[in-house]
Amino acid sequence: MTVLSAPSLTDVQMVVDEVWGTFLGTEEPLVPGPAGDLEVGWSAAVSITGEWRGLVSVELPGPMAAEVTRRMLGLVDGLDPTSDEDVADAVGELVNMIGGNVKSLMPGPSTLSLPVVAAGRVARPSDVVEACRLDAGWGGAPLVVSVHVHA
Amino acid sequence: MKILVADDSRVMRQIVIRTLRQAGYAGHDIVEAENGRDALEKVRSEAPDLVLSDWNMPEMNGIDLLAALRAAGSAVPFGFVTSEGSPDMRARAEAGGALFLIAKPFTPEAFDEALAPVLR
Repeated sequence: MTVLSAPSLTDVQMVVDEVWGTFLGTEEPLVPGPAGDLEVGWSAAVSITGEWRGLVSVELPGPMAAEVTRRMLGLVDGLDPTSDEDVADAVGELVNMIGGNVKSLMPGPSTLSLPVVAAGRVARPSDVVEACRLDAGWGGAPLVVSVHVHA
Repeated sequence: MKILVADDSRVMRQIVIRTLRQAGYAGHDIVEAENGRDALEKVRSEAPDLVLSDWNMPEMNGIDLLAALRAAGSAVPFGFVTSEGSPDMRARAEAGGALFLIAKPFTPEAFDEALAPVLR
């Protein structure tokens, strides 16, 4: 039996593209590849435990997190203010969707945690290593989606 | 008709409600619940015609909500809207008595396909 240790970059890209295209609009797609230095404004992570164990994280700059929130809430571009509570909710839901779909690609059964959200960079356990990293750009700014596994 | 939307994310509840509208279900009353326990109470107090529930929620998750409803004798039509759409999760949902599982991210078309047999 083949036990997959981590999802492929292609799989992660497909999942992230689907989430982005569905809820954040297709008129401005994600552009693959690094898009400059990422100053993390918000980040979120979900852990998957069971037959496969891993941690899926999203890191994005503050203005992008606010724009993600506006679009998910269906607010008018740039006009409506978003509260930190809404941003934390939206970024958490983003990683929940990406993590849930990554979980479905990996061997089960396993359990998906509730998201952990941080203003800044979310702390990861010391025993995990990066297994997959998707650098992308949106609206000219960078974001990172990564998958960490237990060493 | 009255639809209860249970999700711990307010943002996702808004997306679900917007998608219901886009799928052609604009005229229904919507009741929101922020976790399974809240939903359980609101099924009793609001008597919805359909429950759309997230799976992963604090306090009480969606599959425990469904089990609690059925144990209490409620036969309210119930569907999951969750980020986890694996065959294993779909089988667990069906075994628990759910009518459907809509995987996030979803489209208005996916909503219509799942809801039409219940609401039309």
